[in-house]
Amino acid sequence: MKKYVLRRLLVAIPSLLIASLIVFTLPRLLPGDVVQLMLEEKAYGKDLEELRAKMGLNRPIYIQYWEWLGKIGRGDLGESLWTRRPVVEELLRRLPVSLELGLLALFFSILIALPIGVLAAVRQDTLSDYVARSLAILGLSVPGFWIATLVVLLPAIWWGWSPPIQFTEFAKDKWAHFSQFLIPAFILGIASAAAIMRLTRAMLLEVLRQDYVRTAWAKGLRESIVVAKHSLKNAIIPVITVMGIQIAQILGGTVIFEQIFGLPGMGRFLFDAINQRDYPVIQGVNLIIVSVVVMMNLLVDAMYAFLDPRIRY
Amino acid sequence: MTISRRDLLKLSGGALAVGAGAQVLELGRPTPAAAQTPKRGGTFRLRSHVAPVHFDPHQTIAFATMIPLSLAYSRLVKVKAGSAVVPGTQPIEGDLAESWERQGDTVYVFKLRKGVRWQPKPPVNGRELTAEDVRYTYDRFLNAKGNPNRFVLEMVDKVEVLDKYTVKFTLREPNAWFLDRLASTSTWIVAKECVDQFGDLKSPDSVVGSGPWMLQRYEPNVRLTFVRNPNYYIPGLPYVDNVDIALSQDPAAGFAAFLAGAFDFGPEYGMVIRRSDLDIAKARVKNLGTRDYIVVFGGFTAMKLDQDPFKDVRVRRAVAMADNWREVLETNAWSLGKGAPNPLIPAAFRDWTIPIDQLPSEGRRLYESTSADARKLLAEAGHPNGIKVPMETTPGYGPDWMDAVQVALKNWKAAGIDVDMKLKEYGAFVSSSLLGKFDRMMLTLRGGTTDPDTYFTLMLPGEPLNSSGVNDPKLTEMVKQQRRIFDEKKRRDLVFDIQRYASQQVYYAFGASVSAVAAWMPYVKNFGPNIGHDYGGRLMGAWLDK
Repeated sequence: MKKYVLRRLLVAIPSLLIASLIVFTLPRLLPGDVVQLMLEEKAYGKDLEELRAKMGLNRPIYIQYWEWLGKIGRGDLGESLWTRRPVVEELLRRLPVSLELGLLALFFSILIALPIGVLAAVRQDTLSDYVARSLAILGLSVPGFWIATLVVLLPAIWWGWSPPIQFTEFAKDKWAHFSQFLIPAFILGIASAAAIMRLTRAMLLEVLRQDYVRTAWAKGLRESIVVAKHSLKNAIIPVITVMGIQIAQILGGTVIFEQIFGLPGMGRFLFDAINQRDYPVIQGVNLIIVSVVVMMNLLVDAMYAFLDPRIRY
Repeated sequence: MTISRRDLLKLSGGALAVGAGAQVLELGRPTPAAAQTPKRGGTFRLRSHVAPVHFDPHQTIAFATMIPLSLAYSRLVKVKAGSAVVPGTQPIEGDLAESWERQGDTVYVFKLRKGVRWQPKPPVNGRELTAEDVRYTYDRFLNAKGNPNRFVLEMVDKVEVLDKYTVKFTLREPNAWFLDRLASTSTWIVAKECVDQFGDLKSPDSVVGSGPWMLQRYEPNVRLTFVRNPNYYIPGLPYVDNVDIALSQDPAAGFAAFLAGAFDFGPEYGMVIRRSDLDIAKARVKNLGTRDYIVVFGGFTAMKLDQDPFKDVRVRRAVAMADNWREVLETNAWSLGKGAPNPLIPAAFRDWTIPIDQLPSEGRRLYESTSADARKLLAEAGHPNGIKVPMETTPGYGPDWMDAVQVALKNWKAAGIDVDMKLKEYGAFVSSSLLGKFDRMMLTLRGGTTDPDTYFTLMLPGEPLNSSGVNDPKLTEMVKQQRRIFDEKKRRDLVFDIQRYASQQVYYAFGASVSAVAAWMPYVKNFGPNIGHDYGGRLMGAWLDK
């Protein structure tokens, strides 16, 4: 197992390097130029060339990339071009907010998806199955930001109530802090839950048709034992893989949800940075997201062995 | 006069401006409306959709910076605030200056209030504010490297301290708008100790002013919290103890929070709500306070005067005539048809804008004609089959702006003006097109300043924002002449003449400005909106009656 994790970590290095190249070059391909934006503010430099030189953006891109990689090796993600604050410092402040939202969304996603997916499979082609499948299609097809906007706006129009949109720190009020994540996390988890639910149903149906399950039924075992103990454990492995992919989707979704619900996380930071073409911030945030996704997938892979003892690394 | 990305682009595509504040019966003190007793205490809760760039008023023109600074700082003179002040007027009164005197045409001597103290925060720690602070501030204002607001006081030659409470400004040439410029929301009096300690004034810790509230805490991208300044020079003011500005970017969430009672004022810039949301807001909040007013912002079209076909005034008139300002207003969620057409001075400046019906017949035709009339004029100008021209604009002003652009394109096409639109990224747009680097035609917004005179700079040779390339000696002389006239009525007559003349020449075609709806909760008393970023001024005399 240790060997496997080590091997996967080594494999992750080229993945991260490729990702770093993408996150470094793509923002620079966006139309618009941070130097022109800053010159418009007029307080940062006299002319384009002076400002470009001041920020080190006048050098060849491969040199800038190489220097950035060197800094990453030292745990330094550079400084924001606009505020001159270290990106790491900014991220440390914001990362917990995004992680909290993302993890809670994942929790809701699993909480919704697994029971409904199992129910739909066990009660195949019944009313519960049709309802569950329809809900899944709905969850997949309706954009989360649209649901979020309605959830914010309609209760305010009907009852004069709106979810909190001002961030409260954990230290200030624990319940207020936690409760402000509930609604965005639930909505964020819905789309992900729909995908997981459909896969859970499909995989479980496949397993339920296998001979060893038929044997279990023939032995007269209770439904809960057949489903939970004999079937679900085998059906869940591909589901776990998909959950790893869903983590990336959820992290991407935080960008919009943090805007709507006023959560000062990485998503909002990234949104502002893209608007301002703040390259070090865009690179830093994306690199962190990529790293989190890679690590979570590694964790998912490691879980296979726990779920299926036949798997050996 | 133009607006930075931070100033405007994030205004949900809009064109808004506001102001206002508190009824004024004596110098410097906003007083309550009759039969109302002010109440002390409570917290004003506001929303801003964009965080301050930083806190240095001499390093940015961003409204998002100037709004919070208006709560914490004072200036020599200010725009009166209060429910009695008509939006769009900018009456001047003393702030730190107790009185002032103009000596000749170019010298102003200001007498400061005695005993005004800085806020009790380090590094200034409540010491007395003196003439030396005023001199230091304006030296920095005029000499700080890259101050984008420098144009506001560019007519100032020198600032001298005559004694502890007297300061003298000498101008390079007469300028009757000098006091209006001094009342701008970038001219805050700052403390030398803060600049010395922090290097500049960008840090929230460096915000130590002499205004009604003190910046207590800034949580980036979350909120700004202000508390009452115990040293404020007007005893008893402000009435409200705290001001909490929530930084929330989503407009729907902001409006929902307003409906839910989380904010005391309209959630959009200038304390307004979209007119399309007005019925819902009135249904949800009984006795909601509202007031309509025309904003300064509005679109305009620049045309290269040295290039065909715009050398011909008939073609320029056709462009203006085809621009259906009524349809632009009808399709805008802020206005839903309510607003006003703009001559050279925006309609928001009700004392200085010329009523359209007082324009000469050629000028009036610009606002009353149809696409068919414009097509006919083009034919008279030798273009019976219409013209095809490139036009630059930016999507950076947001979706509402692009809606207005589409309306303009449609109406121009109907008039035979086939526009080949080139969209430029905002950063590139402001550093090129806005400065005149475009091919023949450009469509953009104006409206960042609140003194009428700055809107003439579009017409002056050598000014960077003269993007059409106007070089009309007669017009230049008229603009300079009005700056030398101190009699307001006579100056207004000349300002009107300039607008009449400009409407005949059509060096630019001006679009309309929307009529916005300022809104506030029924328990907010003695509040009135106005154009400008001076939230502090208009909140100072207001109170909560819960």
